[in-house]
Amino acid sequence: MKKKLAVLISLTLVFTILAGCGSKSNNSGTSADGVTTIEFWAAPNPTQQAYWQKIAKEYETVNPKVKINVSAIKESPTSEASIQAAIAGGSAPTMTENISRGFAAQLANSKALVPLDTIAGFNDIVTKRNMTKTIEPWEFADGHQYVLPIYSNAMLFGWRTDILKEAGVNEVPRTYSEVIEATKKLKAKYPDKYLWAKPDLADPTSWKRWFDFFMLYNAASDGNKFIEGSNFVGDEKAGVDVLSFVDNLRKEKGLLSQNVTEPFENGVGVFTDIGPWTFSTWAEKYPELQYKKNFEVTLPPVPDGMDPANAKTFADAKGIVIYASASPEQQAAAIEFIKWVYSDDKNDVAFFQETNLPPARDDVGTNEVFKPVFEKTPVLLEYAKAIPNAVPSMDNPKFNELQTFIGQEAFNKVVRGEIDPKTGWDNMKKAIEGELQ
Amino acid sequence: MIEKNNNRLGWLFASPYLIFSTVFFLGPLIWSLYLSFTNWDLISPTYDFVGFKNFTKALGTPGVRSAFWVTYKFMIVFVPIVTAMSLFVAVIVKGLPKLKTVFLIGFFLPYLSSGVVASLIVKGFLSHTSPVQTFLRERLGLDIDWLGGSFSALFVVAMIMAWKFTGYYALILTSGLESIDQEVYEAAAIDGVKDSQRFWKITLPLLYPAIYTTLILSFGATFGIFTEVYQLTGGGPNYATNTWQMEIYSQAFKNLQAGYASAIAIMAAVATFISIFVIRKILEMWGKRNGWV
Repeated sequence: MKKKLAVLISLTLVFTILAGCGSKSNNSGTSADGVTTIEFWAAPNPTQQAYWQKIAKEYETVNPKVKINVSAIKESPTSEASIQAAIAGGSAPTMTENISRGFAAQLANSKALVPLDTIAGFNDIVTKRNMTKTIEPWEFADGHQYVLPIYSNAMLFGWRTDILKEAGVNEVPRTYSEVIEATKKLKAKYPDKYLWAKPDLADPTSWKRWFDFFMLYNAASDGNKFIEGSNFVGDEKAGVDVLSFVDNLRKEKGLLSQNVTEPFENGVGVFTDIGPWTFSTWAEKYPELQYKKNFEVTLPPVPDGMDPANAKTFADAKGIVIYASASPEQQAAAIEFIKWVYSDDKNDVAFFQETNLPPARDDVGTNEVFKPVFEKTPVLLEYAKAIPNAVPSMDNPKFNELQTFIGQEAFNKVVRGEIDPKTGWDNMKKAIEGELQ
Repeated sequence: MIEKNNNRLGWLFASPYLIFSTVFFLGPLIWSLYLSFTNWDLISPTYDFVGFKNFTKALGTPGVRSAFWVTYKFMIVFVPIVTAMSLFVAVIVKGLPKLKTVFLIGFFLPYLSSGVVASLIVKGFLSHTSPVQTFLRERLGLDIDWLGGSFSALFVVAMIMAWKFTGYYALILTSGLESIDQEVYEAAAIDGVKDSQRFWKITLPLLYPAIYTTLILSFGATFGIFTEVYQLTGGGPNYATNTWQMEIYSQAFKNLQAGYASAIAIMAAVATFISIFVIRKILEMWGKRNGWV
């Protein structure tokens, strides 16, 4: 009897410990006094985190029945991996910011997201925030909206005009042949400098293609889609043109893909992709870099014969999602919070001022309320003007594999001179089509 | 009665390890085996049973094929380097008149260091604008893209690993050297063995148990390479450093294919088991020749 009791106690202890390890909260997020708690993971960017913390506090003062815990998404090792781990571990937040269209497609495919358009009040947000056109390309293949875009960065290329002028290039090159010509002059004057110095050029990590290949491809193809549904619809001529352009830059010794610290800022390279978030960092770290004085930003260069003034580019746009694992009370409270934030233009102005990220709205370039932001940082106007030219990323749930193939099979190899552009394109196409089957 | 009590005491003392192993090794292993036959994406509440599809798919992908071969390439580079370095350190330390422990601790410290930090330091060291690279370029005319070349990237990772493990293996080898009876050397000297022959004919064969341990550990380490590759090369260039762990991570956490990644993990476990078994047999044959087994 004693023995049986000892075994029973031991087993109870072991299972209690194990059950404790895997316990899952099943509460609705609403306490006995009727306060609903929302867990909101903001982007791991100090300015965005500070903005949301401030806004959440303001909201709590007018809505004491809602408590919003704002924290930054952990990057261990990436924000996407942290979110996936949280969902898999049953500890997903109510909502998160900083979700790209591609990642949202992965999450939506796994039924982890709430279709926002099915929640009452969502359409009011779209109308009041004046973002009807902006949100259109965010519709997913199943006809739902899973992401509310917060900001949209039309990615531009920066040029170190000070160095280019020293090399005898007085106008910023806008077409492929002008860029090659500028590279020749640069190398003649400064053999140890490069046109495009960036370690990511040889890195197959999928998202890195947004900031090199897709910027150039969108410009060369006039915004032609790359993947539509489950089909590869990439424009072969434009794609091969882009790869040939990169190959020609390599042949002129204009590319540097070795590890190098901040090459554009330090003058090792004179051309690179620049997002608007960069300027607040520069203001502190590289105050000598002044718009129009020693650098300029433009839309991507285009193949000869195309109009560079209206070139398309990549839209680095991110938004908010609400998780299916949140309770209905939390989901309702989250949408009410979002509705409150975007019912007042001043909150978007504050976001723009504090983060330099252009709000994802139709009127960011025309609405007078944003004028003070452009007066303070004139370069941001270029980003606002480029918003209509910016093409968002693909919404295929396999975007990670597909974009990795672009690097592995074509772009990275061309950068390293291991393959000719046409063969690279063909290999990439074959790999992507194989994955899509 | 005493025997029964001893048995109970034995189980009691072994229970923390048994519980730990069951929860953190056996359980996940069985779960992983089960997942390898599904198409679970890590976060979806539902998934389907797909039979051996994940395994057949894995066999045809360049990622898995490269993971298989890259591990052996790492072995070819890493194992001789780390063995030679640790043996060198052990022999030098043994010959020191005093402060042996201090030196051994010094060499052991890299083993405790973070792989992330070490990788970032090396990344900075090999940066295009670093003093070393600038010197090589401007003085010697050598412009080497260390992490961009297939062999050089593999070599850099192998060297970081060697730096990390040398002190640990040297510790094992030093204790092996200490256990060799001095009388053997004295007898050999009387028999006319030259100094140059001492190491190869006496020390090395008598060091077999320690060398056997370090070799098994170093061969095994090549199957677990991740941090350095993740930080420095991401498995590239062109899969040249794509290890099993890197491939499993990419499929599970980047591509959200937990079922497929589990299948790769099972394949990696089988490859590891067979390889270590073969290596053990080869080492035992060497030991047998020297009268150890």
